[in-house]
Amino acid sequence: MEVIREQGKFRTRWDLIILALIIASILIVPFQFAISHKVTVLGLLIIYFIDLFFITDLFINSRTTFRIGGKESLDRSSLKRHYFRTRLGIDLLAALPLDAIFLIWPDLVISGIPVFLWLRLLRLLRIPHLFVILRRWQNHNWVNPGYLRIMKFLFTILILSHLIACSWYFSSYISGFPGDCWIVIEGIQYAETGTIYIRSLYWTITTMTTVGFGDITPHLNYEYIFTIISMILGASMYAFIIGNIASLVSNLDVQKASYWSKIDATNLYLRSRGVPIPLSERVRNYYEYRWHHHRGMEEELILNELPDPLRLEVMMQLTSDLLENVPLFKYSSSNLKNILLLALKAKTYDPDSMLARPGETAKEIFFISKGSVDIKDHTGQQTYATLSNGEYFGDISILLGEQRTAGACTTTFCEAFILDAEDFFCIKDEYPEFREVMKKMSSEKTEKTMQLMLDGVVL
Amino acid sequence: MKLDIIAEKVEDVILIKLVGNLDTNTAPEAEKEFNKWLQENAKKMIVNLGETKYVSSAGLRVFLATTKRMTANGAVVKFCSPNEVVKEILDISGFTTILDVKATMNEAMESL
Repeated sequence: MEVIREQGKFRTRWDLIILALIIASILIVPFQFAISHKVTVLGLLIIYFIDLFFITDLFINSRTTFRIGGKESLDRSSLKRHYFRTRLGIDLLAALPLDAIFLIWPDLVISGIPVFLWLRLLRLLRIPHLFVILRRWQNHNWVNPGYLRIMKFLFTILILSHLIACSWYFSSYISGFPGDCWIVIEGIQYAETGTIYIRSLYWTITTMTTVGFGDITPHLNYEYIFTIISMILGASMYAFIIGNIASLVSNLDVQKASYWSKIDATNLYLRSRGVPIPLSERVRNYYEYRWHHHRGMEEELILNELPDPLRLEVMMQLTSDLLENVPLFKYSSSNLKNILLLALKAKTYDPDSMLARPGETAKEIFFISKGSVDIKDHTGQQTYATLSNGEYFGDISILLGEQRTAGACTTTFCEAFILDAEDFFCIKDEYPEFREVMKKMSSEKTEKTMQLMLDGVVL
Repeated sequence: MKLDIIAEKVEDVILIKLVGNLDTNTAPEAEKEFNKWLQENAKKMIVNLGETKYVSSAGLRVFLATTKRMTANGAVVKFCSPNEVVKEILDISGFTTILDVKATMNEAMESL
């Protein structure tokens, strides 16, 4: 059998099944033990059917990869060794139906509870496995870690309140229902198990949430002790968890919240400085565009922290759709592509932005990957041409060292890759291939750009 | 720096040699020379760039305009022997795909 990747599809689907079965086990086993005390054929079949999954899970776990220091271990023997050393013991106890041995002695009881039901409690050792699964998912990228933490807290509340509810009834049961125990006072000693469980759970929740209506109260010493423990454990845990959930929910989209608060602060600043409303609106529109297309992130800032090889791979992915529109990359070898990717800067411009002005000497080449740019004369009145996806300008002015005779103004939101003059000359001198690439790229120049040259336009 | 234009007619081929810099100041002079031959209905022309030290955007515009007009008249124009600097400018600006540039004068003559 092949190794099972911890972040693979199979493991994720299997974990989903196991997660559901752990929850089922946690709900069924304490209920049977503390409240119903009954064993039906259907109940037995369900319990052992669930056990089959956990026995299979032992084999799957021993073949599932794990990470040490960020590196995934794929060696089969070390996978087994790691599993045997860390979790096999507990998983075995939790998976094997040891209680089945005592089914032939149903009358063998301890404190009024059959021995096989006591042994069935071993299945509660599955609880830690639930958190192992959630921790594994936290390393996945397909789910927001905030949601997983909320799930973890919700599971903790669910498990804790269920266990306390079952124990609250069990405390009266095990002491033989004395006359002034809460069950007798409530008059539900012979009620349906459902009714008993609902009352117990009701008391648990009112105690944990510190609501305490006072309709179900302790009367005996052990009940007082149990209530004190429940209040300390339950209420403090409940408060901790609810506080954490509230904080997690408010931070679920912390990036969005912080981005929009930055926009609001910018707007406030512009208003206080008396910037005209249309200009402020342009700033806001720009930020909105950046949010919708780049999630407001300055990719350079994030990527600069990565080592070059990793940064290149991420950049290739991030910019793949934009790069497709830039002929410079079409003709470049992978080596030159890497050099260019490190040198190019991706920028976004809003409509009516002057990318180039007549009279200035070009300091960069603009490769338009999205949007359109008007080439205008020095008065800004006459438009020579409109450049769009895949077209570029700035090369002639840089190459010849001449001043621009025309300007370039965006007509839409525009995504462009920018190559600085310094990098241009550096790459041209160090990589002879670059000249060939520029030549091939230039051969695609359209009639439009040739006409610009005939019109005496230098950009 | 000035530009010397040396033009001669060998059989039916006009040979024009540009010596010096072809820039904003000298481009009109070169354009005038090309136009003169165009008006004389020249059908074959070779522009020798062997001693052309530099070509500016104005010079490139003259080359482009001359090529377009010659082609429109059913005539042929070849450029030859550009030095490294000029060749790089023509390559990177994409002009080598529009202008017919040959490495030597002989190649240009043979291609006519």
